[in-house]
Amino acid sequence: MNELEQKIRSEAERLLKENLVDVVIAFRKEDAPLRPQPAFFTSIDDLENLVYNSLCANNLANYLTRYPRETRIGMLVRGCENRSVNALVVEKQHARENLYLLGVPCTGIIDWRKVIAVTGEDILEFEESDSTLTLRARHQSYTLPRAELLHSSCQRCVHPNPLSADILLGEALPEGDPKLIRERVETFEALTRSERVAYFKQEAERCIRCYACREACPMCYCEECFVDHNTPRWTESGTTPAGTHAWHIIRAFHQTGRCTSCGACERACPMDIQMTYLTDKLGKDMWDIYQFAAGMDDKTQPPFASFTMDDKKHFQAGGTQ
Amino acid sequence: MKYILPKNDLNALLTAWSAEYAVIAPQKTGAYAEFLPFTPQSELRLQEPHNTRYPVKALFFPQSEAILKYNRNVGQLENLEPEPQKRVIFGIRPCDAKAVTLLDTVFAEGDNQDPFWLARRAETLLIGLGCHEPCATCFCTSAESGPFHRDGLDALLTDLGEVYLVAALSERAELLFSGLTPADAAQQESALLLQAAAEKSLPKVFELDGLKEKLDRVFDKEIWAELAQSCLGCGICTFLCPTCFCFDLVDEAQRDTRVRNWDTCMYRVYSLEASAHNPRPTRKERTRQRLMHKYSYWWEHVGKLGCTGCGRCVRYCPVGLDIRAMIRKAGAYESEVLHAN
Repeated sequence: MNELEQKIRSEAERLLKENLVDVVIAFRKEDAPLRPQPAFFTSIDDLENLVYNSLCANNLANYLTRYPRETRIGMLVRGCENRSVNALVVEKQHARENLYLLGVPCTGIIDWRKVIAVTGEDILEFEESDSTLTLRARHQSYTLPRAELLHSSCQRCVHPNPLSADILLGEALPEGDPKLIRERVETFEALTRSERVAYFKQEAERCIRCYACREACPMCYCEECFVDHNTPRWTESGTTPAGTHAWHIIRAFHQTGRCTSCGACERACPMDIQMTYLTDKLGKDMWDIYQFAAGMDDKTQPPFASFTMDDKKHFQAGGTQ
Repeated sequence: MKYILPKNDLNALLTAWSAEYAVIAPQKTGAYAEFLPFTPQSELRLQEPHNTRYPVKALFFPQSEAILKYNRNVGQLENLEPEPQKRVIFGIRPCDAKAVTLLDTVFAEGDNQDPFWLARRAETLLIGLGCHEPCATCFCTSAESGPFHRDGLDALLTDLGEVYLVAALSERAELLFSGLTPADAAQQESALLLQAAAEKSLPKVFELDGLKEKLDRVFDKEIWAELAQSCLGCGICTFLCPTCFCFDLVDEAQRDTRVRNWDTCMYRVYSLEASAHNPRPTRKERTRQRLMHKYSYWWEHVGKLGCTGCGRCVRYCPVGLDIRAMIRKAGAYESEVLHAN
C-alpha cells in the first residue's frame, strides 16, 4: 500500500468517524487489476478496500449530481476533479458547504489501452513508482516509462493540483505547460477544411452511440439529453454518419466554458474515439475571447451562462462593440 | 474429418474461398481487431488472445438497419430485406459462435422468424478459432461454453504453432477444407492436450446450479442498488455483448425510412412509457434487468443461459464493473443475508 493511499484512508476514516460526511466517494479495488472502481464508503469497516493509484481513471465529480444537495459528501479530488466540482457548484448542482474535498495532487492517469497496446496481453499485477510502471503478465514482466503511458489528456494537463480542496494530501506539483494543449488545438486549426472534416468523420463514424462519453462526464447531467428527445427528434437515431456527426458536434458544443479537459469521455469510450480536440478548441476559444477557464473557482459563471448590462452586442444593429 | 492447414497457406485458402463466398475475418483497425471483408492484402489478426471488440452479432443483426422505405404521398412500401449471401466468417471465437446460436432462439425459432436475421444466417458458415490462451476477463467455462466448444461452428481450428488443426464439423465445411492434408494421430493428440490445458486454465467463477433460483429470490432486495452504485448507465456492456438483442424501431421521417437500432435496458429511456411512468426508474432496476435477463429469464424462456462468458462487458466497462463479481455478490447475498434472517 502506498503512503498516499494510507493518508486518504485515514482522512476518510476521520470524516466518517466524526460524522462530518454521509459518504466518502473514492475508489476500490476490483478483480481486474487495471480497473479500480468508483466506490461509495459509508462505514469505516469498508475502508480497507479503498485504493488509490494511477489507474483510477474516472472523474468522481460525475457522481456528485446523483445526491441531493443536503447530502454531505467527502470526495477524493485530483486537479481536474476539483475543477469539475467547482463548475458543478457554479451551476448549483451541489452546495459547497456540504462538500469536503480530499485533494490529491495528480501525476496523471495511466491509460490502460496504452498498456495493453504495448504488452499485447492481460496484466495480472502491477506496481508503480514515480517514473515507471512494472507489470506482470502471463508470459513476461514489463517495466515501462510512466510518462508514455499517461492518458493524452493527462499528458497535456495544466493544473494537476486541486485548487479548492479542504485538505491537501500529498505534495503540490509544478503546474503543467499550457502550451501543450494550445499547440494541439493549433495543429488541428492549421489543417485544411477537408482534412479537418476527414479527421472528424474518422473519429465520429466509429461511434456506437453507447453514450459512455456522456455518462462519464460530470458536466453531462441533463435529466433528458437532446439525443433522447423524440418530439421533435434533434438527430438521426442510428449509427449513420448523420447520427454520429450530430451527436459529437452537439455534445461538444454543450461543453463550451464547462469542460475542464479531464479526458474522462475518451477514457470511457469503447471505440477509442478521440474527441477532446473539439472540447479543447472550445476551451481555447473561451480563453482567447473571454479569458475564462472552466472550474478555476466555484463562483464565476461561464461566459455563455452569464449576462451583464455591458455585454457586447455584436448581433444587434448599432449595438455596443 | 481433421485436416492440417499450414499458416503460410491460409491467405491462399481464404483467397480461393473468396471466388464463391464473401470471406470475413478479424483485421486490425486502429488499436483493435474487427471483422472485415477479407482481401488477399488483408492483415489478419488471429494471434490476439482476446476477442474482437465489436460483437459478431452485428454481422447478422446490424446496429442500425433500414428495414422499410415508404412513400407517404402514394402509400407505397418498399421492403428492404437483404438477399441471402454466401459468407464465411473466419476466426470467430467459440463463445461468439455459441452466442449466434442463442440469438437463433430469438430471431429464428417458433413464431419468431425474422427475415433479416434468416437471410444473413442461412448461407453463412462459421469457421471458429479456439482459444489456446484464454484472457483474464474470459469465463466461458463457467457460462456453458468453452475455449474449444463447437456449438454453432462449421469448423474449429486449433493453433498448433506453424499449422492449424482443422476439425470440419459440417458437410459445407468439409467441402471448404477437403483439399488439405489429413491430420495425423500425433497432431490430433497435441490438439487435444492443448484444448484440455486451455479449458483447465479457466477458473470456475460461479456455480450455475441453483443460481437462477437464488437470483429470483433476491429480485426485490437492496443488493441491486449496491451493485449498480458505480454504474454510469452507458450502453457499452449491452452493445458489445454478443447475446443482447434488444432493438428499437424508429421512423426516420425525413428519410421516409423505418430503421431498426440496437437498444439497451441500461438507458433510462428504454423503459420510459408515454405516460412518463418508468417501471425501471433508476440504475438499480436497469442493472438488475441486465443481469436477471441473462442469468434468470433466459433460463425461463429457452432453458439456456443468456451469456457465453466472452468477457467484453468486463473488459470495456468504464468503471470496472465485473459481471462475474456482480453475480457472485447477488448469489452470496441470497445465501448469507436472506438465509440468515
